[in-house]
Amino acid sequence: MEVDREDGRSQNQLRPLACSRNILHRAHGSASWSQGDTKVLAAVYGPKAGTKKNENPEKACIEVIWKPKTGQIGKPEKEYEMILKRTLESVCILTVNPNTTTSIIVQVVNDDGALLPSAINAACMALVDAGIPMKHLAVAICCCVAKSGYVILDPTKLEEQKMKAFAYLVFPNSVHSVLPEGSLRVEGEPIENGIITSVTHVDDYFYCLERGRAASVKLSDFLRRNLQQQSTDSSKAG
Amino acid sequence: MENKQSSSPASFVDSTVVPGDVVLDLSSMTSQTIKLGGGLRQDCDAISAMKAGTLRFSKPNKYWIESSQKRYVPCVEDTILGIVVDSKADNFLIDIKGPAMGFLPVLAFEGGTRRNIPKFEVGTLLYLRVVKANFGMNPELSCTDASGKAAEFGPLKDGYMFETSTGLSRKLLSSPTCPVLEALGKKLSFEIAVGLNGRVWVNAASPDTIVVVANAIMNSESLSGAQQIIMVDHLLKNIQ
Repeated sequence: MEVDREDGRSQNQLRPLACSRNILHRAHGSASWSQGDTKVLAAVYGPKAGTKKNENPEKACIEVIWKPKTGQIGKPEKEYEMILKRTLESVCILTVNPNTTTSIIVQVVNDDGALLPSAINAACMALVDAGIPMKHLAVAICCCVAKSGYVILDPTKLEEQKMKAFAYLVFPNSVHSVLPEGSLRVEGEPIENGIITSVTHVDDYFYCLERGRAASVKLSDFLRRNLQQQSTDSSKAG
Repeated sequence: MENKQSSSPASFVDSTVVPGDVVLDLSSMTSQTIKLGGGLRQDCDAISAMKAGTLRFSKPNKYWIESSQKRYVPCVEDTILGIVVDSKADNFLIDIKGPAMGFLPVLAFEGGTRRNIPKFEVGTLLYLRVVKANFGMNPELSCTDASGKAAEFGPLKDGYMFETSTGLSRKLLSSPTCPVLEALGKKLSFEIAVGLNGRVWVNAASPDTIVVVANAIMNSESLSGAQQIIMVDHLLKNIQ
């Protein structure tokens, strides 16, 4: 089904991605992530000694602070913080630095649709920049389902407002491995689900999932190239 | 989704890896003992990367991931620069830019006894050696070398301390001497202490020398050897 999107993209096409790491001088890790016009800045401080009162001291604790572009902090920001915290807790290896807190501050610079997935991507790159041990990278995509049933990826704000439902999906990145292919497949390549916001039909959800997975491969490659490029820049020295 | 790589472990050595990449397959290396350094973790038979960086291998059997961060992961026998944060009955609490505070026992000085415990103010900069760095415990530090001699450890007076990344600290301490330090040493006279935790202390007779040395080191992080020498020449031309 051919769909006309306002900016001329096809159904499965993502907006241009840009990512830079180590942009903030004082933060221990930082990254800026933009998908088209949506831009998010993430900063990581830590690990620092001590955990909060209700947290398990045998694990590292992750604390997220979401700063909106304008306005006061209210319930939507608290919800984003909670979603980010749970996603990042499942991506980081929490047993390496017990009894420590890592703080992640996310600042929205511009919101043009797919804000939460951009924030998850930015936070993940900032954690890599800070050297926090992780099991794998998190790759986040936004899928929308329209009233007529077609699914599009990476919507802009206008497209989001017209949709019937949208789903944010987070996947582990595709790994390069020395193991023979068969052994990784057996695990079934576990999928992490971010949050599903009001998907109305089960069929639609699985369709979104397929599309999202395919797009996550492209995002994974982009992340890998970005990390290789920046590491070769700094390794030229000395 | 996964790219098939050749099954020899040499295929990832010296290339950039991303968290999650499986870099070694133990089932194909049954009769060897290998040592894993920082950044790698073991998942049954697969060794996977926890950090992004370059995989390095040193004969006969050591693998580790080299990366440069602003925070420090304490390792035994590292020499670091710590700042006194508090003093307790038995230990000084030292900030070493790591996940936990370091403990410096009050007696860990040459000829240290209960009667001549040094009095360090909060904020004193110390050149220290890491004695113990166990999982889950605060690292233990010392102001003596392994045989009990003072050997340059202890408080650093005067001078200027600035923070860098751990990667730059390692380059400054590498042998042969880092090009930046050699080029600076030919024209200026200064004293320098490099901590592997990303802190560098510089002292010289005049403040402008200190500032030039500090700026040269901070600028040299992403430059190659030849570029570093050019940069130092440029800086020195401007002040003389």
